[in-house]
Amino acid sequence: MRRCKPLLGTFVEITINDPYSLHQLESASRAVDAAFAAIALIQHLMGFHQEDSELSHINQTAHLHPINLHPWTAQVLVAAQEVHQHSNGAFNCGVGHRLVAAGLLPQHPGVRAHQFGGIEDLRFLEPNRVFSTRPVCLDLGGIAKGFAVDQAVQVLKNNGIKSGMVNAGGDLKVFGKHSQVIYLRDPRQPNHLTEIGELQEGAIATSSLYFAKRDHYRPSFIINPFASPTNNPYIEFSESYSVVAPDCLYADALTKVLILSAGKTPSCFSHFSAQAIALST
Amino acid sequence: MNWKPNSLALFGVAALATPIAAYAKIYVSVEQAQQLLLPNHVLTKSPLLITRDLQEKLRLASSIRHPFQGDRIWKAQDGSWFIVDEVVGKHEMIHYAVALSPSGTILGIEILEYVESYGYEVAEETWRRQFIGKSANSPIKLNQDIQNIGGATLSCKHLTDGVKRVATLYELALKNQAPKAP
Repeated sequence: MRRCKPLLGTFVEITINDPYSLHQLESASRAVDAAFAAIALIQHLMGFHQEDSELSHINQTAHLHPINLHPWTAQVLVAAQEVHQHSNGAFNCGVGHRLVAAGLLPQHPGVRAHQFGGIEDLRFLEPNRVFSTRPVCLDLGGIAKGFAVDQAVQVLKNNGIKSGMVNAGGDLKVFGKHSQVIYLRDPRQPNHLTEIGELQEGAIATSSLYFAKRDHYRPSFIINPFASPTNNPYIEFSESYSVVAPDCLYADALTKVLILSAGKTPSCFSHFSAQAIALST
Repeated sequence: MNWKPNSLALFGVAALATPIAAYAKIYVSVEQAQQLLLPNHVLTKSPLLITRDLQEKLRLASSIRHPFQGDRIWKAQDGSWFIVDEVVGKHEMIHYAVALSPSGTILGIEILEYVESYGYEVAEETWRRQFIGKSANSPIKLNQDIQNIGGATLSCKHLTDGVKRVATLYELALKNQAPKAP
């Protein structure tokens, strides 16, 4: 069984490899529905575009008063802080205003400041309660998709699915005893595919600009968090950077760290059991 | 995690890349999508003649150029709708189904098939026609073994425009057909 829905701004595909008889078809179908629902919830909680998402609440008021969070939002923020810390700041979600300035994300009323802090400014009072020491403009676009893939896989497993895959427009996770041959697009020509290996019980995420640049010219959506407010923060690159890791959340976040290191495997990769793949042009 | 990299690929990557002219993924048939989006509903085909005026309004609202086909509309007894449409990008064509509640709320979206093509014009009618009427039970034989493509995220913006077009269709043409409350 394979189904696909538009979510997280891309096409999310769920594949189930389990053999099933006709009467099991319905329960497999329900499992897939539940996995899609989990992804929709993550989009609702962590979307930058939605003014009423928890992420938007953080951006609007976390510096004014503490905010209660859904455990999943808290989990993503904690992971974002973890990657931020281990990458010495190379991964930072506090770049939303840069993407807004480039027209890549919408401007919301109530999120304006002269200077924004970063993910490091969040303080957890309780596991699901957070405040910020400075105004922030966080965008979880670089990590939430990976988390959504992980959660969808978890929901499938909880519903008794043994083997399958969740692929959110190129960021994917494989689970169960079946290993999967993974193809990557050639960054010079996205219609050329390279078989890069075989993956079992693991995830791979990729960052490249070939689709972003195909139809329209816009600044890169990859932001250098170290750029000073007056410097051009948009990192233009033609390579394709992938990260293989046990969880898609970390694979997703670490692709940005890999871009900043221009493809040289960053030292924090061993901490996350991650491997780097760079396709040059 | 068990990752077996293709060692050849990691060294001379570009040389080993295989070009694909086209590939298609068929997810679910129209009937399966009806079951998934509007379970336990009896659906009746309810085709609509799309006037030139309506066609133009749909185009303006969605910025989709190719005409909407009014013969893929179904109605449930409670006034829900099931509509099949397609969006055509430069390199991809996506057939999809949208279910609407009697009041026009989007109940769900399901992708029926996704076709990616290079070296052809996807928009060309002869190219598109070969996929119409295919179902999950009669898959197209185009690079079928290539299933797991990683890579940069493909945007679903075209599809968002398509769903906007269906929502506009409801507002302009379907809404007034809704049955009166008993």
